[in-house]
Amino acid sequence: MKRFLMAIGAMALTVTAGIGASLAQTPKDTLVIGAAVFSDSISPAAGGYLTLSFVYQTWEPLVARDADDKLVPALAERWEAVEPTKWRFHLRRGVKWHDGTPFTAADVKFTIDYVTNPQTVYARKSRIAGVVGTDIVDDHTVEIRTATPSALLARGLADIAIEQKASTEKLGIKEAHRKPIGTGPWKYVEWIAGDRYDLTANPDYWGGPPAMKNLRLRSLPEGATRVASLVAGETHIIEEVPVDLLPSIEKRRNLKIDAVESSVSLVLSFDVRKPPFNDVRVRQAMDYAIDKKTMLQQMLGGYGSVLDGQLVTRSTFGYNPNIKARPFDRAKAKALLAEAGYAKGFDTKINTMQGRYLSDVDIANAAAGMMTEAGARTTVNVLEGAVWAQLDRARDQGPIYQVGWFSVGDADFNTVWYTDGSKRNYWSNAEFNKLWEEARSTLDEGARLKAYNRMMEIMHEEVPSIFLFGLPRISGRSASVQGWQPSRDSLLRLHKVSVK
Amino acid sequence: MRYLLRRLLLVPVPLIFVIAFVFVVLRLTGDPVAIYLGLDATPEQEAVLRAELHLDEPVVVQFGYFLADLAQGDFGTSIQFKRAAMEVVMERLGATLQLLTLGLAFAILLGIPAGVACAVWKDKLPDFALSVLAVIGQSMPSFWLGILLIQLFALDLGWLPTSGRGGLEHLVLPTVTLATFLIPNFILVTRVSVLETMREQFVVTARARGAGAARALWRHVLPNAINPVVSLIGLQLGRLMGGAVITETIFAWPGVGRLMVSAIFQRDVPIVIASVFIVAVTIILANLLVDLVQAAIDPRIRLR
Repeated sequence: MKRFLMAIGAMALTVTAGIGASLAQTPKDTLVIGAAVFSDSISPAAGGYLTLSFVYQTWEPLVARDADDKLVPALAERWEAVEPTKWRFHLRRGVKWHDGTPFTAADVKFTIDYVTNPQTVYARKSRIAGVVGTDIVDDHTVEIRTATPSALLARGLADIAIEQKASTEKLGIKEAHRKPIGTGPWKYVEWIAGDRYDLTANPDYWGGPPAMKNLRLRSLPEGATRVASLVAGETHIIEEVPVDLLPSIEKRRNLKIDAVESSVSLVLSFDVRKPPFNDVRVRQAMDYAIDKKTMLQQMLGGYGSVLDGQLVTRSTFGYNPNIKARPFDRAKAKALLAEAGYAKGFDTKINTMQGRYLSDVDIANAAAGMMTEAGARTTVNVLEGAVWAQLDRARDQGPIYQVGWFSVGDADFNTVWYTDGSKRNYWSNAEFNKLWEEARSTLDEGARLKAYNRMMEIMHEEVPSIFLFGLPRISGRSASVQGWQPSRDSLLRLHKVSVK
Repeated sequence: MRYLLRRLLLVPVPLIFVIAFVFVVLRLTGDPVAIYLGLDATPEQEAVLRAELHLDEPVVVQFGYFLADLAQGDFGTSIQFKRAAMEVVMERLGATLQLLTLGLAFAILLGIPAGVACAVWKDKLPDFALSVLAVIGQSMPSFWLGILLIQLFALDLGWLPTSGRGGLEHLVLPTVTLATFLIPNFILVTRVSVLETMREQFVVTARARGAGAARALWRHVLPNAINPVVSLIGLQLGRLMGGAVITETIFAWPGVGRLMVSAIFQRDVPIVIASVFIVAVTIILANLLVDLVQAAIDPRIRLR
């Protein structure tokens, strides 16, 4: 008995001793962010899109997006096409790497060369897939060549972090990605997998030193815990407030909600190859059957917006102001169904994933209810990610499936999923395909806009998908936080944020 | 010593079974190529990956290749993180072990005395009150309890942090949540075991020879009643790991449990297998330890 008690005691002691060593007191003058998705990597080469939220604290692209998805100068001050297939970038002067050495054209060439090298595994490689070479003109000028005219090169480059040639060559990519040496507003301090990422202000940042001395990004995957950490004052800003917890922040005077419409368009897509959705009248009927305004209030807390009967959101290049969403009109939906020969209705289902998009399952359920009221008896089928990937591959996603397409500000990025080559859609339209190709290979912005506007019209008439919502990004913050705004592309931009 | 050596030599046997099971289930429930490459892969890329992962061969052969890599300590490269899978898992192991050991120690230190109290005061107030508490604890989902604890101690009272890993104060709520999940079992098993022992002849004899109630309990009942409780510790380890997954999620604890679950959803097979491997090793070794402790307590158990 005694020995048993001693064993337990020894066990407890060992554990307690281990704890003493690790301290997590937040250093003073630190901005603390509660992150919903915490990437397991800070390497530009690995991880999903949201890894960029970490990467861009320390590194920077040539051309950046701002919080509204507009392109702004970053490491390149300006850029222009010198030939249809050659773009010249004028680099910012006087920029220093975190180790004090100057940033030059050699770093840009090194990065682009290694990203486009077929041997390299790089997550967002496809963003600059058309690049065939980079030439150094002088220390502060580079030219990037593309295989075909590319209006979207600068937008693509916004997802490519420029890395330091000297340290990456010396340490190797793997080691260099572990402790970033960048040009960005924050310097690396410590990254603890699954827990937190600590950074400190870069006093020599070309855009001026950050407003706060230190930055801590904390992993808080569970929505209720994230909100609790904000209420308790442990975090200054939290990402993605769950819609059902909005009231607990709204009712507190010292906390604020900030929301922005993202460029993610949530849609319900049809398998137009098979009845009943091979008939455009049935697809239009479903569009009339859904009361999108009520759903926006109920499922998204009134944040975000109802899409204007087209794939892109209002802030996206290519938006057509002349198209409006079909109004909610159940009688008309029923009439259209009868006209198409489905007076008695039919059975169908919506496939969706869970937790992939804000309120995804709730939205699918509400839509199914409304479609059922109009005569299409609809059930909801919640699928796990791996099963979803297999259905995608088999090109059999079911009669209706819910998906969010994001544009990061340009229609090219999400209309591509409706073209024949994309393997993401069952709908096919020759004019649409042709316009998409044309828009992508001209440098004339007016001609591009015209093409996208026409593409939106085609989709509005043909209804390959019901265009539901521009999903919101809802963040919470302490009232003492200033200079914060959630970004449409969901990356954290914290350089100018301060706490009173 | 020879016993210990033999047991250690047998450790790989259950491990291979566990790994084989996980391997086959993951292969059956999702084509890795579909998940790794997505829809835009060219047929060439697909063929390369299929050959690389030996997916063009029967599952048994695939498993053989996999074991050969494993024998060299190579668990493969994580699909998501592009790093050695075992390295990613080891970074998280410390956090989970800390939580598990502390939760278990807490459950033992509270659960066993409470169980003894129930038995001693059988059918009286302490027995009744503790048994009711045990039933409540057993039926309360950890998820809910965790959020209630955050609400009370972090938000309303402001005594403890809501989440994260750091100093001692960060450990309290996760440990209590995890321990609450285990304590009821310890109370109920200890109670029954002590009650049964108290009815044994040798206890009655001891009392008849004049041993006081306290002495009889300490010298005669407890040493005999403790063994079933110690075996329970071994059996609880699997459940404990399940509880850790939930606790880690609520309290944003950077452990293996959370990593494993997200890897399963992403079909990041190397990470899943590496973490299952580590968890299995931990459970097997802990059970070995339990056997040793049992032998130390009860001389009738001979380690051969």
